[in-house]
Amino acid sequence: MIEVAHLHKSFMAASGRKRASVTAVEDVSLTADDGEITGLLGPNGAGKTTTLRMIATLVAPDRGIASVDGLHSVQNAMEVRRRLGVLSDARGLYVRLTARENIRYYGRLRGMSDAAIKDSTERLAQLIEMENLLDRRTEGFSQGERMKVAIARALVHDPQNLVLDEPSNGLDIMSTRALRDLIRRLKEQGKCILMSSHIMQEISALSDRIVVMAGGRTVAAGTAPELIEIAKARNLEDAFVALTAHASQDASPPGTRP
Amino acid sequence: MIATIWTVFRKESQDGLRDRRTLFTILITAIAMGPVFLLLMANFVSGLEERGTRREVMVDGIGNAPELANFLQRNDFTIKPAPADYLDEIKSGRLQEAVIVIAPDFSTRFAHGDVIDVELVFDESRNDAQVSIRRAENLLHAFAKEIGITRLIARGVAPDVARVVNVERINTATPKQQGAFLLFLIPMFGLISAMIGSMSAAIDTTAGERERGSLEPLLMNPVGVGALVIGKWSAVALQSCAVLALTMFSFALAAHVVPSEKLSLLFQFGAPELSRFFAMMLPFACMIAALQMLVATYGRSYKEAQTYAGYIALVVNFVPLVTVFSAFRDAPWQLLIPALAQQMVLSRVLRGDSVSAYAYLVPGLVAVALAILFLVGLTRLLQRERIIFGR
Repeated sequence: MIEVAHLHKSFMAASGRKRASVTAVEDVSLTADDGEITGLLGPNGAGKTTTLRMIATLVAPDRGIASVDGLHSVQNAMEVRRRLGVLSDARGLYVRLTARENIRYYGRLRGMSDAAIKDSTERLAQLIEMENLLDRRTEGFSQGERMKVAIARALVHDPQNLVLDEPSNGLDIMSTRALRDLIRRLKEQGKCILMSSHIMQEISALSDRIVVMAGGRTVAAGTAPELIEIAKARNLEDAFVALTAHASQDASPPGTRP
Repeated sequence: MIATIWTVFRKESQDGLRDRRTLFTILITAIAMGPVFLLLMANFVSGLEERGTRREVMVDGIGNAPELANFLQRNDFTIKPAPADYLDEIKSGRLQEAVIVIAPDFSTRFAHGDVIDVELVFDESRNDAQVSIRRAENLLHAFAKEIGITRLIARGVAPDVARVVNVERINTATPKQQGAFLLFLIPMFGLISAMIGSMSAAIDTTAGERERGSLEPLLMNPVGVGALVIGKWSAVALQSCAVLALTMFSFALAAHVVPSEKLSLLFQFGAPELSRFFAMMLPFACMIAALQMLVATYGRSYKEAQTYAGYIALVVNFVPLVTVFSAFRDAPWQLLIPALAQQMVLSRVLRGDSVSAYAYLVPGLVAVALAILFLVGLTRLLQRERIIFGR
C-alpha cells in the first residue's frame, strides 16, 4: 500500500542569470491500495513524475509524507526501496550486457541468489513474451524491447508495490497489450500498483481508481463514474478537462520537470 | 555492503571487458608504447655517439691554409671540403655541421705573424650541430695555441708566460645522469598509461550512466550510494593498474631485448626498477581513477566528460615539467604533489640514485588521502537531484 499526504516539492531552477524556485508539486495526497490499480492522471507538467520520485525515495519532499506499507520514504528509505518495484521515467539499459545480465545485476543488488534470479527472470520473460530476447545484448533493441527488459528488471524481486511512470510510452499496440495483461495479472496477485499517464484512455482502460493531478495538486480521486459525477460531466474525458482546467486556474505557476 | 561492492565491481568489469574496440586500442597503446619509445631513444643516443666520436671537420678553402691542414692531419682529422653553397645549406638545415671558412690571405698573414681572421659558420639552434661546433672551435683554439707556443719559444720566452690559468675539466655526471632528459620521459609513461587505462571506464561508469538514463533506476535499488561508488571505483582502478602494469612490463621486456650498449649505460630497467615503479605508480593509478570519475560525473554526456578528462590529462602532463624549469633539482615539497612526486622519485630510481623509504611513503599516503576525498565527493555528488535527473 502506498500513501501520500500533502507532499510539496520545489526546485531551484536557473532561468537566465537568476535562479528561481519552481514548484513542481504543490500539495499531493493519494492512496493506492493492495489488489488495485491506481491511475495517476494529469496533463504534462502536473507533477506526476516528481510525486513518483518522492515515493521512490529518490527525491526528498520539502513537506508532507510519502509511505509504502506504512514505512516512511525518508526515514526508512532502504526498506521502502525493497518493497517497491519502480519503472521510472529513465529506463536506460547497459547495452553491452544481455537482457538477462541486465536483470541479474539488479537482482544481485537486491541480494537475491542467482538461482532465484534465474527463476524470476524466466517467469517474467514468459509473461511479457521476451524469452527470445533474454540472451541477446540489449544494444540495438527496439523501444518496446528495451521497455520489456526495464520492466523485468524492476520486477525481478517480486515487489509488493509497483510504481510505473508512463509505462506504455513508446510501445506499439502488441506490446501495450502484453503490458496491460501483465499489470492485470499482478493486480490479481494482490499487488499494489500505482501508474501514471497523461493519456486518459490508458488510465481508464486499466485503473480501478483514478487520481487526477493538475498544477502540482491532486484535484480529484475516485472511480471513473465517481469522477464523472463529481465533475458533472457526460463522460470521463469531459470530466478530466473540467477538473484539470479548474485546478490550473487557481494553481501556482505550473511545475516543470527538473 | 561487501556483496554490493562485489556485484557492482563484477558488472562494471564485465561491461568494460565487453567494450572490445576501446579495450583493443588501449591494449595496443600499452604494449607498443614502451618498445617504440625505446627504439627511438636507442636510435637517438647512438646517433649522438656516432657524431661525437667522428674525427672529421668541414673546411671551406683549406687550400689557402696548408699550415692548418697539416695540423689537422697530424691530429688524425679528416678534412671534408664544404659544399659551395654551405651558407644556404646550413640555413635550411640540410647541413647540420659547423664550417670553418679560410680567407685567401691566410698563408700571407701567417708568414707575417699577423692576426688571422677565420670564420666559423653554424646554426646554433640545431641540436645535432652542437657537437661539431664545439669540435671545430676546439680544433681552432688548439691550432692557435700550438703556433703561439712555438712562436714564444722561438723568441726565447717561456710558453707559461702566456698561460695564466690552466683549466682542468672534472665532470661529475655519471653516464646515467647525462641522459637526464630521456629519463624524464619514462616516468611520464607510467603517468600517461595510468590515465589511459582508467579514462574510458571512469567516464562509462559515471557520465555514461547519466547519458544512458541508467543512473536513476540504479539508485532506486536498496543499496547505499557509497557501496555503488566503491564498486565502480574498484573496477576502474583495476583497469588503470592493469594497463599501467602491462605498459611497464612491456617496457621492461623491451629494455631487456633492445640491443643498445649506450642505453643500458644510461639506465637500468630490470626487476628492482620495475617493482619500485609499481610501488610508486599503483597508488597514483587508484587516485587518478577516482579523480577521473569525480570529474566525469559532472558531464551530462560521454562527450562532455571526455572534454573534462582531457583537462586532467593536460594537468598531469604539465605538472612534472616543473622539474624541467627548476633544472631537475629536487626539493622535499615535491613529494606532496601527485604526478610531480612520481616523476621526481622515479627519475632518481632510473638514474641509480638512492631513494629513501620516505620518498615512497609520502606520495603513497597523499594518493590514498586524495582518493578517499574524491570518492566521498563522488558519493555526495551522486545524491544530488541535479545529477540524478539532470539529463
